[in-house]
Amino acid sequence: MKQPWAWVGWLVTILVILSITRNPLYLILILMCVLFVGITLRQAGADIPNPISLWKLAGWIIVLATVFNALTSHYGAMVLFTIPGKLPLISGRVTVEALVYGATNGLVLTGMLASFTVLNLALPVRDLISLIPRAFFPMAVVTSISVTYLPTTIRQFQQIREAQAVRGHQMRTLRDWLPLLIPLLVGGLEHAMQLAEAMTARGFASTRQVSGKRQVYPRICMFLGLLLLALGWIAQLSGAGVNGLVIIFSGALLILGGLWYLGRQSPRTTYHRREWGWQDWLILVVAAIVLSVCLLPLPGLNQQSLYYEPYPTLTLPSFSPWLGLAMLALLIPGLLVWYKNANE
Amino acid sequence: MKSRLFSLAIYMSATISGMLVLLYPFFLPAVQQTGFGTLRLEQMPMMMTLLLGLCLLVLLFEAQGPMVNTKLIALLGILVAINSALRFIETAIPGPGGFTPIFFLIILVGYVFGGRVGFLMGALTLLVSALVTGGVGPWLPAQMFTAGWVGMSTPLLHPIGKAFIARQAKRTSAKFNPEILLLAFFGLLWGFLYGAIMNLWQWPFIAGPRNQSYAAGLGLIETLQRYLAYYLVTSLVWDAIAATGNVLLMLTFGKPALRALRRFRQRFEFNYTPEPPDATKQQGGSITG
Repeated sequence: MKQPWAWVGWLVTILVILSITRNPLYLILILMCVLFVGITLRQAGADIPNPISLWKLAGWIIVLATVFNALTSHYGAMVLFTIPGKLPLISGRVTVEALVYGATNGLVLTGMLASFTVLNLALPVRDLISLIPRAFFPMAVVTSISVTYLPTTIRQFQQIREAQAVRGHQMRTLRDWLPLLIPLLVGGLEHAMQLAEAMTARGFASTRQVSGKRQVYPRICMFLGLLLLALGWIAQLSGAGVNGLVIIFSGALLILGGLWYLGRQSPRTTYHRREWGWQDWLILVVAAIVLSVCLLPLPGLNQQSLYYEPYPTLTLPSFSPWLGLAMLALLIPGLLVWYKNANE
Repeated sequence: MKSRLFSLAIYMSATISGMLVLLYPFFLPAVQQTGFGTLRLEQMPMMMTLLLGLCLLVLLFEAQGPMVNTKLIALLGILVAINSALRFIETAIPGPGGFTPIFFLIILVGYVFGGRVGFLMGALTLLVSALVTGGVGPWLPAQMFTAGWVGMSTPLLHPIGKAFIARQAKRTSAKFNPEILLLAFFGLLWGFLYGAIMNLWQWPFIAGPRNQSYAAGLGLIETLQRYLAYYLVTSLVWDAIAATGNVLLMLTFGKPALRALRRFRQRFEFNYTPEPPDATKQQGGSITG
């Protein structure tokens, strides 16, 4: 289960649900699914250099969002206590509704952060770079060079620091960083020069340059697409009776179509292409089903339960078992990883 | 000439569309929107991410246009790696407030190598550092877009910069390099602007005091007043630290870094000339640099 697009499908589904629902029951369900997939991936040996523990960060986000909203939003019927005085932003009633709304926002943010962390766990950087469309191959090369050169840069920085320390250089003020940063920059630029010469010597960018109508028409498409995006957005916001989403969708199609056509003009070979396995297809199909259940107006699903609002008076959020069951299907990548681990 | 005009039109339309997406709270009327095909407030962040992502794709494609050039690719690759390393260090050892060292290099690269390279430097720095620190998220398109603008807008300083250089040539004993002062001022400005633009991504969805929170249909002036109040209360100190950091970095490292970048720009400006067709036939193809 290494096909990047299958994981992207799973991620997009999670993000769409997180963006449309504020029902804490669904949010907790989604978060549990994401955490389960993350834990199974970690057990399978996946790891990324996270400066801060995700658990700690998630805790902080939820606590901060709850406290911030409770202290700054003074709406709601169930008053816990009142902060006296005339402190700007803070003085006023602290309500249960504001606490719940803040915690809900925290859950959404945590869900987004966790789902992207899982994506980073599931896919190596090489696979993430392979997601860059063909039309952007120069950018993909730049990104590859940067990602490859990054550890070297950090190592070079440490070497320069050690060399300066041996000479008795001490770091006291900002100016003391000068003998570290400038050699790092100049050394990097020298390296870029050598790299450019090596790339030229190996014939990089020596392929036939595409020009003329094959370049112009797709760019015209993209230009028109941008205009449609802007028009659709304005129509959407003004609520003028025109269906803005349709215009936006047409613009997006024109842009993506133009990029696809331009991408076809840049032949790219891939070393060790990822195969599509049945697990990848399964994840994609499940993601499509979950999205359809949440977004399409299907009968008997109580999609209104997605749109929960604690203001003005706190009520218990409603829960549709079918929607909950559909969301539980997002556990499948984790189950597949767990099954694979158990069999190895 | 036609191609450049067309390219300019694409730049302008992508930038304006991106700005429309980010600035929608200021002109959203209080119309009750219902029915299929209209968005709920909760769906707006996702929609903004998608639209900004599309505008960003077009801008990136247009900016990379003349980049099938090994020198530029290698240069950007290495500079982005250096800047991402700085952001990696800053993530591991967080500085005070919104301090980040990345804008220093983005501004200088945009100033020396031009708007296109500056845009790519800004956008790719955020992309690569997000990839290596696990910071990929729905906020990334907006961050890439805004950081790209920082680099793309730097050539606007060229006319003023040239005047400063001319004046400095007459007064060699000046304590501060006026060009560096100009860049430091630019860094100061973007320190605040970056925070103000990124705030727009979340402001409409945050509940707060009535005079600071967003409500549809208030009109441009009142929405601006409320946003300004929100910005002053929640972000001013944070962004002031970011802006001060930009100024300090520029004043301390700006002059030698600018000199190094200019020296290398001259070295990078050489061109391989294609061989004549006869020689090409014999050797099986020409190499362009």
